[in-house]
Amino acid sequence: MLRPLTFLASLCLIATSAVARELPEDPFESVMWQSMADRFMPGGDIVFDNKVIVMAPLSAENQFHVPITVDATALDNVEEIIAVADLNPIPLVLSIRPQAALSYVGFRLKLQQTSPIHVGVRTSDGVWHVAGAIVDAAGGGCTAPAAAHGNSNWMQTLGQTRAYAGRETLSNARLTLRMRHPMDTGLAAGIPVFYMNELVIRDDAGQVLAEVDMYEPVSENPTLTLKPLVGSDESVLRVSTRDTEGNVFEFPLTVPSSAGL
Amino acid sequence: MSQLSVSLRKSAAPFSQSRRRALQWMVAGCGCAACGSINARLLDFDLSAVEIASKTWAVLGRTDYFDMSNGGNIVNVAFIEVPDGVVVIDTGPSKRYGDALLALIEKTLPGKRILRVYNTHHHPDHFLGNQSFDANIIAAPAQVIENISIEGDGFTDNMYRLLGDWMRGTLPVAPTVALDAEQESIGGRSFSLFYLSGHTSSDFVVRDDETGVVFAGDLAFLYRAPTTPHANIHAWKESLDKLAGIDKDLLLPGHGPSDAKDESLAQTRDYLDWLHGTLSDAVSRGLTMNEAMIIPISSEFEGLGVVRTEYERSVVHLYPALEDALYPVIEVTQ
Repeated sequence: MLRPLTFLASLCLIATSAVARELPEDPFESVMWQSMADRFMPGGDIVFDNKVIVMAPLSAENQFHVPITVDATALDNVEEIIAVADLNPIPLVLSIRPQAALSYVGFRLKLQQTSPIHVGVRTSDGVWHVAGAIVDAAGGGCTAPAAAHGNSNWMQTLGQTRAYAGRETLSNARLTLRMRHPMDTGLAAGIPVFYMNELVIRDDAGQVLAEVDMYEPVSENPTLTLKPLVGSDESVLRVSTRDTEGNVFEFPLTVPSSAGL
Repeated sequence: MSQLSVSLRKSAAPFSQSRRRALQWMVAGCGCAACGSINARLLDFDLSAVEIASKTWAVLGRTDYFDMSNGGNIVNVAFIEVPDGVVVIDTGPSKRYGDALLALIEKTLPGKRILRVYNTHHHPDHFLGNQSFDANIIAAPAQVIENISIEGDGFTDNMYRLLGDWMRGTLPVAPTVALDAEQESIGGRSFSLFYLSGHTSSDFVVRDDETGVVFAGDLAFLYRAPTTPHANIHAWKESLDKLAGIDKDLLLPGHGPSDAKDESLAQTRDYLDWLHGTLSDAVSRGLTMNEAMIIPISSEFEGLGVVRTEYERSVVHLYPALEDALYPVIEVTQ
């Protein structure tokens, strides 16, 4: 007879400890803030932090390609950066773990409607440092077919890549990668979900510099800007990506030596 | 920095700002005696016609972007009295505007019949007033008609989103007369017709051969930043050359005052050169779109209407093609 009571009591304890994390008021007044924090920023404390810079347009000129740039280099010991579009049918856009890269990422996302964007940056003490923006948008970014489907041979160009590999400082590169992929959300009628979901950058010795998980809201033909750490000599970086059908694409990039800086 | 941008955005967000402005209007309206008619009065265009050449009137829009305070009246349209009637060039952003334009023509030229309406291109501020006119006399090149047929609905949706009740009752109406002649005579007046492109895939230019007035549509902007959602910069510059070569006495740009010295052509060309050069440089340095958006506007163009907004929009329009052109293809193993 006592057992269910004990069970209930322990449930209450769990519930109390879950509530214990105090959620700061959202400056963007998102109705989904509680849910975004619970689902995508689990664990440690949450603070809104000026050290996280989120660049976003006021208004989405194109709801299929809304550019976002995150710079959290003012924070030390960053382990993970996540981005969510609160009012998208699928909110989680991307997460990046910059093991040996600056805490910085540029990407483009699809917006289904005007929405707050929240970016959470988790430091090694478990704290989520959060910033964001509100982007005004016309509707429908996530539920329309990708432009690729207007072309019957789109499969032949899958994974085609263009890239910029430059050096920004003595110790870091600047990469802009543009990879052909429809990034189908599964929400457009008759088109199953199909997107590039993993990207890993390694140095020539195989050491992981940065890992990116991408989700359905990342724009068609994902265009990512990242800043991996490199030595001052000319360096070869190896990028590998995988999509939800298991296609793997690999390519090398050469970052020039610091002599030209 | 992010906190700063939060507070900046709160005042700069177009949605809340326009909503606030609309609310202010409502409050002001309800304080006055004529409360019943206030909404109708607020949403009236106060259109006026300026005679820019003999028997040629321009209705000049503000050099702004669409918002609730201007109702979309940001575009130039024109009408000409020809011996047997009236010729209209472009119809504005909505049915409400089209109706106001029709009333203005009737007031200026009482009893004159409208014989021809031209649409210069398929952007919503230039053709969404078509509904107020007889569809059988609305003419444009076949490509403009096709563009309107394909994109008209989407444009209309977005205009309702931006302008709300100003758009009430507006539906896209495509021209029915497809033009391909170099000249046509309307009501006893000869018009030269030019089929150009660059601002969009089809930009139609009309010259009144009697007065020498060229109606350049949005190939020419003056004191207002050019817009680029469907632009091909290279083709646009070729069209500017052709426009410069057309014998004329006056040019009416799509946005901005009438121009007797081809100043709009030079200004549009210089801006496009700066825009293309600036964005090409940004792409070739691997900058993100957001980083490109905060590049300062050249002092030469700081004074152009809505230049910051249009520049930011142009980044989104032009960046993908520049990335495809400037970044090398990488050998990928699968």
